[in-house]
Amino acid sequence: MSDATDDGGGALADRIDRYLDALREWAAGLYHGLVTHPAYEKIEKEAEDLEDTFMLACFPDAFGIPSPVSYYTAELLPYLEDEFEAWERRMWDRGSMLERKGQQYHF
Amino acid sequence: MEKFVFFGGKGGVGKTTMSAAYSVKCADAGLDTLVVSTDPAHSTSDVFDQELGDEPQAVEGREGLWAMEIDPDEEVEHHLMETKRALGDQVSAALVNEIDRQIEMAHQTPGAYEAALFDRFVDVMRSSDDFDRVVFDTSPTGGTLRLLGLPDFLEGWIDRLRRKREKSIDLYEKAAIGNNEPRRVMDGDPILARLQERKEFFEYAGETLREHAAFFLVVNPDELSVRETRRAAEGLADRGLAVRGLAVNRLTPSPDDDENGRGARYLRDRVATERAHLRTLREEFEQPVVAEIETRVEEVKGDFLTEVADELDIEAAPPATPPDGSA
Repeated sequence: MSDATDDGGGALADRIDRYLDALREWAAGLYHGLVTHPAYEKIEKEAEDLEDTFMLACFPDAFGIPSPVSYYTAELLPYLEDEFEAWERRMWDRGSMLERKGQQYHF
Repeated sequence: MEKFVFFGGKGGVGKTTMSAAYSVKCADAGLDTLVVSTDPAHSTSDVFDQELGDEPQAVEGREGLWAMEIDPDEEVEHHLMETKRALGDQVSAALVNEIDRQIEMAHQTPGAYEAALFDRFVDVMRSSDDFDRVVFDTSPTGGTLRLLGLPDFLEGWIDRLRRKREKSIDLYEKAAIGNNEPRRVMDGDPILARLQERKEFFEYAGETLREHAAFFLVVNPDELSVRETRRAAEGLADRGLAVRGLAVNRLTPSPDDDENGRGARYLRDRVATERAHLRTLREEFEQPVVAEIETRVEEVKGDFLTEVADELDIEAAPPATPPDGSA
């Protein structure tokens, strides 16, 4: 008996669900494009900048500035592979502060 | 008396003799004593007439006495090898060379030698549970002061690094909106763990030096040495490490009254100037003069050490509350 009711209402419910799914996807996409994406891009950039200062504080001798603590920070290097590579890349890449900050606007 | 006793002073005033004599005194008083030389120009082996290495070794013919000489070069090498091993385990082949260069460079900096020396002597303090007293024969004043000043400085530095790292990870976590995987996570971050470990190491060093260490300065009765001692005492006080006493070494013996030859006149003059310096030390320094040792014609070793030890007015009582070595 319960089977029969499900069959009847099921088709309609399915259609509503499908419609809602599509709507949700569109809304999520719109929200991501308008809000989330710029936001996390911005925060991530900020985090990268902070990471750069961290790397610079750890390894100033990479720029010829002697540091009394490089001996200690050197032991961090094996665990900083990703950071080290990204850092080097960003160091080469970065034209100016303006350019870096402007990147997020995707002109 | 504290568990850790440091002897410092200008080069060539007899720090090694004093620390060796004091450790003999402690050993004779029934304490298991370790004497550690941190001076790169080691002479502890000469005093005990025995080859010493980087590990504590029993001193022949002396009950309850061990000695060792710290070798910073070996420590730097060891640290370099450790770091490189970790590098091989962690880093992909493509990047190894790049990072390897960086690591090599860090071990060539002037600070590396001092950092290694510092690491090693904190290690010795940490793993000194077997001994009742550890006597440090330090390098001449400048180096020692810098070395003892390190914990505060490094603690602050490491702390700032840790905060930077925490903040950037925090931002990465915040950037991971929705179902995104954050690029770095706080939990189990190896960098934060290492920085924390280092911070604890420096904290231990700073605390132990302030709470469980006593400092003595060895001084000769001449102007340069007196001045340097004044500076050293002030420098140590600035770092919150008070000097406990002054050990005056190399006093010239006065001639007999009836002697009047050239040598006797020279000695009399010499004794007079030394008296003046001794008076300065007694009157102008807050620290008491804890030893007045006359110059000996022969090298101070063997039985002479015991003789000098008897003249040292530094107590050899066991430490009141043994510090926890495993902090």
